[in-house]
Amino acid sequence: MVNPLFALLVAAAITALSVIIFTPERGFFWKWQHTREMSERVLREDALKHIYHAKNASVTSLAGALSISTNEVADVIEGLQSLELLEIEGVDFKLTSDGRDYALQIIRAHRLYERYLAEETGYDEVNWHERAHQLEHELSPEDVEALAQKLGNPTHDPHGDPIPTADGKMIYAKTRTELTSLNLDARARIVHLEDEPEAIYAQLVAEGLHIGQEIRLLEVTPLRIRFETGQGEHLLAPILAANISVIPVSEEPEKELAVGLPLSSLEIGEEREVVALSPRIRGAERRRLMDLGLLPGTVIGAEIESAAGDPVAYRVRGALIALRKEQAALISVSAEA
Amino acid sequence: MTIENTTTLENILSTAQALRWEVGIDFHEKVTESIYTDAVKIADRATTRPEEKPRFDFDRKLDQILTSRVWGFPLMLALLMIVFWLTISGANVPSSMLANLLLDTIHPMLKNFAANIGMPWWLDGFLFDGVYLATAWVISVMLPPMAIFFPLFTLLEDFGYLPRVAFNMDNMFRKAGAHGKQALSMTMGFGCNAAGVVATRIIDSPRERLIAIITNNFALCNGRWPTQILIASLFIGALVPAQLAGFVSAMAVVGIALLGVFLTFLSSMFLSKTWLKGEVSTFSLELPPYRPPRIWQTIYTSIIDRTLVILWRAIIFAIPAGAVLWLSANITIGGTSLAGYLINFLDPFGLLIGLNGVILVAFIVAIPANEIVIPTIMMLTVLVTGASAGEGTGVMFELESGMETMALFEAGGWTLLTAVNLMLFSLIHNPCSTTIYTIFKETGSKKWTWVASLAPVLLGFAVTFVVAQIWRLVASIL
Repeated sequence: MVNPLFALLVAAAITALSVIIFTPERGFFWKWQHTREMSERVLREDALKHIYHAKNASVTSLAGALSISTNEVADVIEGLQSLELLEIEGVDFKLTSDGRDYALQIIRAHRLYERYLAEETGYDEVNWHERAHQLEHELSPEDVEALAQKLGNPTHDPHGDPIPTADGKMIYAKTRTELTSLNLDARARIVHLEDEPEAIYAQLVAEGLHIGQEIRLLEVTPLRIRFETGQGEHLLAPILAANISVIPVSEEPEKELAVGLPLSSLEIGEEREVVALSPRIRGAERRRLMDLGLLPGTVIGAEIESAAGDPVAYRVRGALIALRKEQAALISVSAEA
Repeated sequence: MTIENTTTLENILSTAQALRWEVGIDFHEKVTESIYTDAVKIADRATTRPEEKPRFDFDRKLDQILTSRVWGFPLMLALLMIVFWLTISGANVPSSMLANLLLDTIHPMLKNFAANIGMPWWLDGFLFDGVYLATAWVISVMLPPMAIFFPLFTLLEDFGYLPRVAFNMDNMFRKAGAHGKQALSMTMGFGCNAAGVVATRIIDSPRERLIAIITNNFALCNGRWPTQILIASLFIGALVPAQLAGFVSAMAVVGIALLGVFLTFLSSMFLSKTWLKGEVSTFSLELPPYRPPRIWQTIYTSIIDRTLVILWRAIIFAIPAGAVLWLSANITIGGTSLAGYLINFLDPFGLLIGLNGVILVAFIVAIPANEIVIPTIMMLTVLVTGASAGEGTGVMFELESGMETMALFEAGGWTLLTAVNLMLFSLIHNPCSTTIYTIFKETGSKKWTWVASLAPVLLGFAVTFVVAQIWRLVASIL
């Protein structure tokens, strides 16, 4: 029989090795698989997207965006030219109309899939972009159309960017401006939060900012931007604020910025009226809650707490519905009984 | 339609499309919300509600007890224990009646019939000792517990208690990044993992559903209870004085089942922190009013929908298993059977992880149905040791007394470590083929089916390996 101590040590070494190799995303195996999957087609499609979005794309910017060497970029460019998707005028890259359509198809797949992830699944918000980035190359045009149908032909992705139509049209709202170019004291609604780079996006999410939120600009200096939302005041560095786009709204706001109490603050036995569902409840979840009759004006009462304290069951229109605390926090109810 | 009309139509459509972009992302939601609000107002005006029902107060009282911080969990555990106890003890009698009929009456009749018409020994052995016996075994061990467990389970569901279980357990599943309704598919998995996997359909969101499917295998199913009970009463019960033996071995089995629950949480948490990162997207659990269960309807539908469907799948998979088992024990090359070669080949690895070659081969043969693990182990032990028990090469059997079984295991070189690791490995190994097939049908993904099948085996090897080494280390020190 093998010495048990020796066997344990060998096993520990094997485990450590496989952790290094297979750690999700960072493990060697996944990195290797990633480079293997970066086929010519995927590189071409990513290059098209980059050239479509960038104001002045160059070999260096492409190399950075696709994380490949400039030599490899040259091959990709050559491939795009031979497929008549790209023309080069002097030092400028210019997409042909076929190239533009192709790029828009990929963008359509990406944004639709992000919308699907946001509405129908529980995947982490910070991972949407990455998952969609992988799937955009795998979905066939039929898959994309089926997805669009299923989601009810949405116009915007969850970050507020327009989704190109199947025939390749895409318009950004005319009145859309950057947060920093608003007049002081003006009211506006957030319509877009840029999801790249991930680190900045994660900070915006952590601030509790989301699409559809109404804001009022209080102060703009070269060092900071100050504005208020229903949740209170926010202070952002200009580099963060530059990733927020807004549409100005008329001076008369639909409702006051601050609305009611969160449902989660109700004590057992208390009853209130629902005021609003936060825009952060979306897609399948929002439909489900509305199906259950959780609408502005509905009377809702906290009735029982589970044995572990969370979730809490609420009485809504005669039915008993259990909601988790973090969900109930997104539903606001009247401050008075 | 004239050309002019088409262009206007196109103009209108493209203008509409442009406007859709202009109105912004939340327009759709606002319209839906106002439609719902109007609908509710109209409905409220048009309907009158009868007076509050008298049951309402009773419901509230019951809920206060069943979901209270003090009584919620103990009551839940007690109810589940009662269900298991009813299943296990209630299944004994019909199981032995079925075994009497199928194994002790029909099987000899078939053998007689074969002898009378002069059937060659290999055909007779293949058909009646291999295929028939394995199938009959699966039916007699599997049918009675399922026919008791599923109706009981459905009665609790019908009464309205199971949603309260999900309500109480949700907090733990939330911490593991999973959905509270997974409590229900897990509990269902105690009856049968294939049924548990199907039961995950109640979870709407794909991520949480996938977690529930992959981890369902850690719910100790009916097919594995008999193995646990037999080994615990033979080996664990023997460690303590006779009057405590029953209680201690029962606790050992409960301990294994609780370890399974713990592993469910652990693996759910692992998955939702790594490959299936995220949070529960849609959680709303309706707690329906309690109502008297419709007993006959429940029994009928749960037997037709759950028991028979699963039994049928198990039979389909048991037939080839019986054939393979008999053939591997009877086809010999150079005096050693195929099973013998495989056992010798796997023995070093089996011993390393505190099991042996026979047990590993039995788990391979028993992929179609966990019920036949013990009879296969006994048959193969006889084959390897040449002990005087059983009914012939490649024929599964059961020994009447525990003493005889124990003697056979000891002849096979078993120790307490073998028994403990067998119990662990029986909990932590691949799902049976019925479940694997169901996982594939439910996920539609080969990748996740592979993960759900292989990950538990690897974990099982790891756990038994570590236990064996530590056991030996401690033994060498003492």
